[in-house]
Amino acid sequence: MSIHLTEEQALIGQSAREFAKEYLDPIAVELDHSSQYPTAVVKALADHDFLGLFLPSEFGGAEAGFVSLVEVIENLSRSSAAVASILINHSIAAYAIQRWGKADQKKAYLPALAAGKTLGAFAVFEHGPTPGVGPDALQATQQPEGWVLKGTKAFVRNAGVADLYVVLACTDPAAGGKAMAAFIIDAKASGLTVGAPFDTMGLKGCPVADLVFDNVIVPATAMLGGLTEGQAIITETLAVASIAEAAQTVGIGQAAVEHAAAYAKTRVQFGRPVSTLQAIQTLLAETATDCHLARLGLHEAALLLEQGKPFQVEAAMVQQFLARFGAKMLVDTVQVEGGFGYSEFMPLPRLFRDIAGTTLLEAPADYPDQTIATALLA
Amino acid sequence: MPKLLVCYKWVLDEQDIKVRPDDLSLDSSRAKGKISDFDRNAIEAASLLVEAQGGTVDALSYGTPAVKLSVKDVLSRGPNALKWIGDPEADKADAFVIANVLAAAIRRDGPYDLILCGEGSSDMFYQQTPARLAALLGLPCVTFVSKLSLEGDVLTATRKLGDSTEEVRVTGPAVVSVLSEIHKPRIPSLKQVLGAAKKPNEEIAVGSLGLSAEDLKPRAVRKSPRGFLMNRKNVIFKESDAAANVAKLVSSLAAEGLR
Repeated sequence: MSIHLTEEQALIGQSAREFAKEYLDPIAVELDHSSQYPTAVVKALADHDFLGLFLPSEFGGAEAGFVSLVEVIENLSRSSAAVASILINHSIAAYAIQRWGKADQKKAYLPALAAGKTLGAFAVFEHGPTPGVGPDALQATQQPEGWVLKGTKAFVRNAGVADLYVVLACTDPAAGGKAMAAFIIDAKASGLTVGAPFDTMGLKGCPVADLVFDNVIVPATAMLGGLTEGQAIITETLAVASIAEAAQTVGIGQAAVEHAAAYAKTRVQFGRPVSTLQAIQTLLAETATDCHLARLGLHEAALLLEQGKPFQVEAAMVQQFLARFGAKMLVDTVQVEGGFGYSEFMPLPRLFRDIAGTTLLEAPADYPDQTIATALLA
Repeated sequence: MPKLLVCYKWVLDEQDIKVRPDDLSLDSSRAKGKISDFDRNAIEAASLLVEAQGGTVDALSYGTPAVKLSVKDVLSRGPNALKWIGDPEADKADAFVIANVLAAAIRRDGPYDLILCGEGSSDMFYQQTPARLAALLGLPCVTFVSKLSLEGDVLTATRKLGDSTEEVRVTGPAVVSVLSEIHKPRIPSLKQVLGAAKKPNEEIAVGSLGLSAEDLKPRAVRKSPRGFLMNRKNVIFKESDAAANVAKLVSSLAAEGLR
């Protein structure tokens, strides 16, 4: 628990933990095996207001803030980071509409997103090196009938199950990634198809696929923000995502260290529990410390975001920290559990695969080092 | 419309209590509070009754001043209002004192058509408070309830006994203590958590209840709670002959005093 938490934030975290024990613990292993999208669980997330967590109450949201969001994501991720991924991708799409939407767009989309009647997804990545560059980059061309979108968005989470996508498209091929604009696209739009699902290493159950746009026509009113605001939308929304994913990583790490500590107390080697061995204690202590420090950092970033203050540098610092120590938390806890911990009938292999995803996906367009250094050297 | 009361206890989460290996004393310095497990079932049962047929649910708790920490938690789980009594001496209270205080508060703010409690608290599990409360208030008491309905002032309850069940019908008001299987406690939604702050809650000073020093003097004194650690002997019999291993096991158990 962080020093920042109010009573309500702590209770929201507690509710999320209760939710995770009730709905996620029973399905986490099966989800990892089947990769089957957990429809009933996502409905339960909606019933408990998690899908509209930070959205304003005027649109049906709980207006609980971003510190509550990271508390919820950490507590869900302790049981199933895959389900947390579904929530994160929905949430960042809702964030983008709330942050850059015009009044009529907010009115049209946010109530359904908050209630969970509509699931959102944020589609930014492409097969090229950066969005807007590459042979199949999504291009938006203005025609008399509206904007015509052609190209592919890659690695889109919630692809195929989302009802709407916030997509970033290049509006000027000559300018490439510098001319990006965001659009709100109905999943049923003519010409939009979902590619074959990617079989991912972890976070199974949160579908990932390409979105293929074959001359999808949308009206001018589908544009989110201004013509030149796409890059700002990408940068800020992915920074929000990086905070949420840091909470996801911490949740996985917390689950791993708790499991490893409990196991170490019961596993007897050399005539005594391995928890009495200093080498084991060091691994556990370092993992718990990494987890705790990352939690403090991400709560600070979430609080800044909630207060409307600049948060990108702090978010990048947490991301950089977890890029170095996130996977290490699992390397070390597997080490604690030895051969048994490496076995698939134990939870750590699943957590290991999941943490690889949370520290890789939805990275900010700028590497965190660059964000931090730019602020330092300005 | 029925007016219901649910009593609950704010206890330390047993998962956070550590046993010190040197003297087996309990370390609760990092333990968080929680609503006692069976009491959460009682809260849910009361809330479902009024959600189905109207009425109101008040919650009532007696405990140390830390009980204040439970205000938003309990109000997010269904009750319409809360009254709580924070008393620094409550950590020494036994079921006699707890029942006296709760009964006095109920006399002050009642009457209620139905009073629900958990079968026992997660920390002490005396299982005495509901029965004592009923006796003090002169009401019938129905314990071990696994199913409950209320029609008018007639309460129908299924009691789960050792190897059988018993259905009883009582004309209210009454005190009922419920088992965990009666209803699974709800997980509050975010709006219910945030809405809890808007519900009324009132602190009652224990001194305002008209209780005497004798009423507040515990009859049972808790001396020294100790943890229990099971130390395994880690003996392995490695004879190649199974019969010899069994013989050694039997003699070893006999040496330990097992006959």
